[in-house]
Amino acid sequence: MLATNLYNIRQALNEQGIIFCYSGYMTEAILSGIGQAIKQKMVIEEADSKTMRGVFSIFVEQMQNVIRYSAERIPEVTGSESVLSFGLLTVGNENSAYSVTCGNKVLTKDTEKLRSHLEKISKMDQKELKVLYKQILKGEVPEGSKGAGVGFVDIARKASKPIEFDFTTLDDEYTFFALKAFI
Amino acid sequence: MDNIHIEATERSPEINFNFQDNVYLIKGESYPEDVPAFFGPNINQLKDHLADMDSGKVTFNFELIYFNSTSAKVIMQLFDLLEDSADNGVDVTVNWIFESDDDNMEELGEEFGEDLESVKFNLVPQES
Repeated sequence: MLATNLYNIRQALNEQGIIFCYSGYMTEAILSGIGQAIKQKMVIEEADSKTMRGVFSIFVEQMQNVIRYSAERIPEVTGSESVLSFGLLTVGNENSAYSVTCGNKVLTKDTEKLRSHLEKISKMDQKELKVLYKQILKGEVPEGSKGAGVGFVDIARKASKPIEFDFTTLDDEYTFFALKAFI
Repeated sequence: MDNIHIEATERSPEINFNFQDNVYLIKGESYPEDVPAFFGPNINQLKDHLADMDSGKVTFNFELIYFNSTSAKVIMQLFDLLEDSADNGVDVTVNWIFESDDDNMEELGEEFGEDLESVKFNLVPQES
């Protein structure tokens, strides 16, 4: 049973084209380790350097978003120095296109703001994204801690297709949020 | 002012600030755990140093392979700081050095450089 159960999880991931999956507490040290593994794997697969840079860059932004903004964290107070933030990360390779997906809990009361920001970003073309990116970097657009982050704009710029995102409400307090970007 | 030399790590770039020769370098990968803690003290020293200058030459070399969006904010701050210094009469040159096959890094250089008016800005492709 033990092996079958675990193998079934692996098969379910395989069927979705997922080549790498992490579910658990995320820290900056884990980001470093997974980042190295992803780089090594892509070298073995002989991915071209542009793809490799794109995957790595989107992976870093996605993971840092979870580390900074996941609503499921220890300690629960945001801004404390050492945190464990719960989230999921998958790297997929479907029809020779790589994707990086992250999921984490957010506060249900924050979802509308986050959704409207992501809707705005996902509809922008490269030129509009560039303008917004620079405005945020220059501090011309106040960067709200939830949603207006330059990280999402950076992901959208490096993605080869519009970013995909989704929410599922868990209860009054928490909603699960997922974001997928193809490279 | 003492020169700054910090070796590169897997996640943070080499920093070489030579305040006597006024030659500055940031080189490598930049996605440190704590971006403000890593860059803050170095940039503050540079800011103080540039504030005392109203002539002379400054050369700043960026030779980055990868930087995350939080580091991008720091780079933008540096560009603003260098532009202010050039407005004050300092002869400032910024070299944006990138691997010749890295279109993305070239574009980022163009984007960061396009707002500079007083600084001399060069895109420098390098064979990898």
